[in-house]
Amino acid sequence: MGTAPASRDVTSYGMGLAAPLALFFLLFFVAPLLQLFWLSLHNDTAGLHWGLGQYLHFLTDPFSLGVLGSTLLLGAEVTAVCLVLGFPIAWLYQRIGPRLQTIIILIVLLPLLTSVVVRTFAWIVILGRQGIINATLQSLGVIDTPLRLLYTQFGVVIALAQVQMPLMTLPLITALGRIDPNLDDASCSLGAGSWRTFFKVVLPLSLPGVIAGCTLTYAAAITAFITQSLIGGGQMLFMPMYLYQQASTLQNWPFAAAISIIFLLAVLAVVSVFTTLGRLSRGYGGA
Amino acid sequence: MFATFTGSWEEAHKAVLVPAFRKANADAAMVLDPMLSVDQIAKVNAAKANPPIDVMLHDPGPALVAIGQDLVEPYPVEKSAYYKDLISEAQEPMGPAPFFQVVGLTYNPEAIKTPPTSWADLWKPEFKGRVGITNLNSTLGTGWLVEIAKMRGGSEANVDPAFKALEELKPNLAAVAANPGALATLFQQGQIDISPGNFNAIQILKARGVPVEFVAPKEGAIAFKTTIHIVKNSPNRELAFKMIEAALTPEVQTALMNPPYLIVPTNSKVTMGGEIARVLAKDTAELKQKFVFQDWKKINEQRSAWIERFNREIKI
Repeated sequence: MGTAPASRDVTSYGMGLAAPLALFFLLFFVAPLLQLFWLSLHNDTAGLHWGLGQYLHFLTDPFSLGVLGSTLLLGAEVTAVCLVLGFPIAWLYQRIGPRLQTIIILIVLLPLLTSVVVRTFAWIVILGRQGIINATLQSLGVIDTPLRLLYTQFGVVIALAQVQMPLMTLPLITALGRIDPNLDDASCSLGAGSWRTFFKVVLPLSLPGVIAGCTLTYAAAITAFITQSLIGGGQMLFMPMYLYQQASTLQNWPFAAAISIIFLLAVLAVVSVFTTLGRLSRGYGGA
Repeated sequence: MFATFTGSWEEAHKAVLVPAFRKANADAAMVLDPMLSVDQIAKVNAAKANPPIDVMLHDPGPALVAIGQDLVEPYPVEKSAYYKDLISEAQEPMGPAPFFQVVGLTYNPEAIKTPPTSWADLWKPEFKGRVGITNLNSTLGTGWLVEIAKMRGGSEANVDPAFKALEELKPNLAAVAANPGALATLFQQGQIDISPGNFNAIQILKARGVPVEFVAPKEGAIAFKTTIHIVKNSPNRELAFKMIEAALTPEVQTALMNPPYLIVPTNSKVTMGGEIARVLAKDTAELKQKFVFQDWKKINEQRSAWIERFNREIKI
């Protein structure tokens, strides 16, 4: 193959250019991570006795496992809401004029331009007892006493879905933009209805974007310490708060380190499921 | 380098303490670095031989951790001009308390016409779904739990009665905040009408126009000693000492007691005035009588078990 040497050159350039970032990650991500892992292998807070006690404690404790489970479930719920609400927006984006496209992009990006704290506080105002939702429902006579929305799982899911929405919509817009519009027409002219076209053509071809969006949203939702604690309150415990409590309030660093490692592995497992699906979907889309 | 707390403490220290210190010490350089107690401990722990911080400020729980980890020096009491003037509860040989934080009942006077008088009022049926508390991550939450335990026959060593009481409080609970700061937001949003609260945090809310009032319950307001420490191996030991001395002077404490700071003084030479005299105590004698101090050494022993239990049992 005559082109082989040239392409090898391209790869080696790529590696060279990636070196600064790789070094940065090695120094400021991999090294602390190893230190964390080392710390988690100690049975006492002073870090003198080696052992797997912290992991055993977590994995045999129904309460801790419950916290892990509810956190992973929270991520799934938020991701589902984002996908269901985000997909139509991305789909619409591909089918309207450039001026409306600008407006949609602006609306999608706007949340990213304000800090998570501000966005979350806005949700406290919306969901509170005298918040917009309760005030409207009460003035319409739908309810007599205010609904409890703040400090509930429902509130957390809704707030997180809004806060993380851009992470879902942007990959979807890109993926849908890559689909040749002629495929729609072809499908229709061959006799498929619009729903059938959607499920058999558009959805499969957009899967890489769906997977990317889901991965990003999921990872962001389960680690969103600020939104989880401000909207969920002190009695709804998710992994980030559990970790903070152990590390900061109780100074139990080895257990906190073990929680981090377990959490990291759980997230990696979920993300690798997503990427496997992504790889499969690429095969499907190409076929 | 003086590590203070974030927020209003930082403002107060920057405006009053730093100028006083510099005036007394020929403009000696000092840096205020606001950070949480746990971060202070972590930073000093990471460089014990040459600590980046000279003076640390701590709540009672972290103070014991810092002392336990051998991070602070005993305060040179015999050299100090002001230590002996501090009220006896503030005289801590490992680091004196330059001020107290006080926890009592906070309520919304627009919603609650008769001011509450006791911790037990939180259990009144009329406050169904109106009560806010914080979890045990904070000094406030933990201190309050201990006080409730005492009210029901428990102690720092036995908080079982408090957990039973919490179970009965559930119908009234509107929110369990993740931190005391979040309680402020809940008052602002009308989510809660009554809660245990920090005197200083309430004054800030009041100043911003939020309808809140503070009362010391008849069982006594919970007082936390916030202690100030010279860090072990500090290269600026002498200045650190002078800095703490400045924080103990009646002048600085009086300035910090006045609005907008309203920080409760510990020097018995300070004449109580303003809001503090009105709602807390007119003089040291009344203060001693109305404040409850808790045994944080005992509390720390079991705190992690309580936090674990709170995590499991308190779901609303």
